Amino acid sequence: MKLAAAFVVALLLQLGLTASHLWWVLPACQPLLLVVVATARRMGPTGVAWSGLAAGLITDVIGERIIGPGGIAGAIAGAVVAAVVRRFEMEGPLFWIVGSLLAAACSETAWIAAVAALGVRPDHAWRGALATVAMTAAAGLVVATVERSWRAWHSPARRRRRVLRRL
Amino acid sequence: MVRPRLRPDLALVLVCAGLYVGAAAQARMPGGTALSLAVTTISAPLVALGNLAGEAWEDLWQGRRDLRATLAELERVRAEAGELRRSNHLLSAELAALRQGSRLLAAYPALAEHATLARVVARDIVRAHTILLDRGRADGVRLDSPVLAESGLLGRVERVQEHAARVQLLSHPAAAAAARVVGVPPEGLLVGGDQPRLTGLPPYTQVAVDLPVVSTGSEGIYPAGLLFGTTLQSKLEGIFTIVPVRLAAQPAEVMVVLVLPPAGRSAP
Repeated sequence: MKLAAAFVVALLLQLGLTASHLWWVLPACQPLLLVVVATARRMGPTGVAWSGLAAGLITDVIGERIIGPGGIAGAIAGAVVAAVVRRFEMEGPLFWIVGSLLAAACSETAWIAAVAALGVRPDHAWRGALATVAMTAAAGLVVATVERSWRAWHSPARRRRRVLRRL
Repeated sequence: MVRPRLRPDLALVLVCAGLYVGAAAQARMPGGTALSLAVTTISAPLVALGNLAGEAWEDLWQGRRDLRATLAELERVRAEAGELRRSNHLLSAELAALRQGSRLLAAYPALAEHATLARVVARDIVRAHTILLDRGRADGVRLDSPVLAESGLLGRVERVQEHAARVQLLSHPAAAAAARVVGVPPEGLLVGGDQPRLTGLPPYTQVAVDLPVVSTGSEGIYPAGLLFGTTLQSKLEGIFTIVPVRLAAQPAEVMVVLVLPPAGRSAP
């Protein structure tokens, strides 16, 4: 349920980031890919790949591109991220940073490959792909920071310290 | 009954393949305007929201920049106002000096022709009893030249440099000049000090208060008939009358003086 809510929020965010008054590099950010990274904690590689497929398809739809390559790229990215996260047992900030970087890089590479195989001219080339990877990784860093702060704030150790201070 | 079950990973691969085929078909037959319209309709409020946030951020940023510019401008204007205030003080002082010089020249039209107008650049009227002028030998100032202020004689030049001259004031303890009290025939000697006084008068000379004391020129420095000051209450020391003199020229207020040519005793 949380993942579904996160999916919707990410979708809305991805749409909103294209507003003309915002910083011009922000539309390169792919919050939906962060949701795919988040599913890697709960699902296996196949499940993550399915969520990547859904995220990629939606990205294709809202980007008004040919529907399909984004889905394929998302599925590949999801599978790779899930495999790497499991193999190296990543947790904490490293999970988000490496996961988002890997997801964006795999997704963009696979998308460019798929589009090239279809013989269609892509709407962005390597520079756009690089911006996408950079902005998505930056978003992953932000999520990692927020999560760490949240955990530190709600940690039992901190609660104990507060109780001891009141005594 | 056996239900065929598809493995999820195989299903994923099949879906991807289907998508690839579908994408290829779309690439050959572009279309999908209804979908584009739906996406545009859905994304419109979100884009508007994003624009609103962006505009707010831009306004904030612009406001911050404007504030910085305004503060910098304020600082610049303050500095400029300080500079103008300083200039105003200097100009006021300059104007006062010019007025004093103008009055001085008007007060002594006969002497002004051969005299040198000089500005007081430094003064030590309490300890050394001297003032420093901005004119010197190059301007025709000579040793022992009498120095005249608007209200009366001030002293004589005791040291001359090329572009400066030092004046010994009449209040200097070593200063002396031949003088007489207007209406009192005998000549006396005006000597300096904290209280300048007229000495050397004949015994039992009666001198009223507030009479002008003027130069006689017999000492060879000061021209005759120029005002030194006014008399105060005279007193007797033995049989001689001592007349304290209130000097007319106040060195503390003098900004411009007239340096007269020496009376002829000193070499140039």
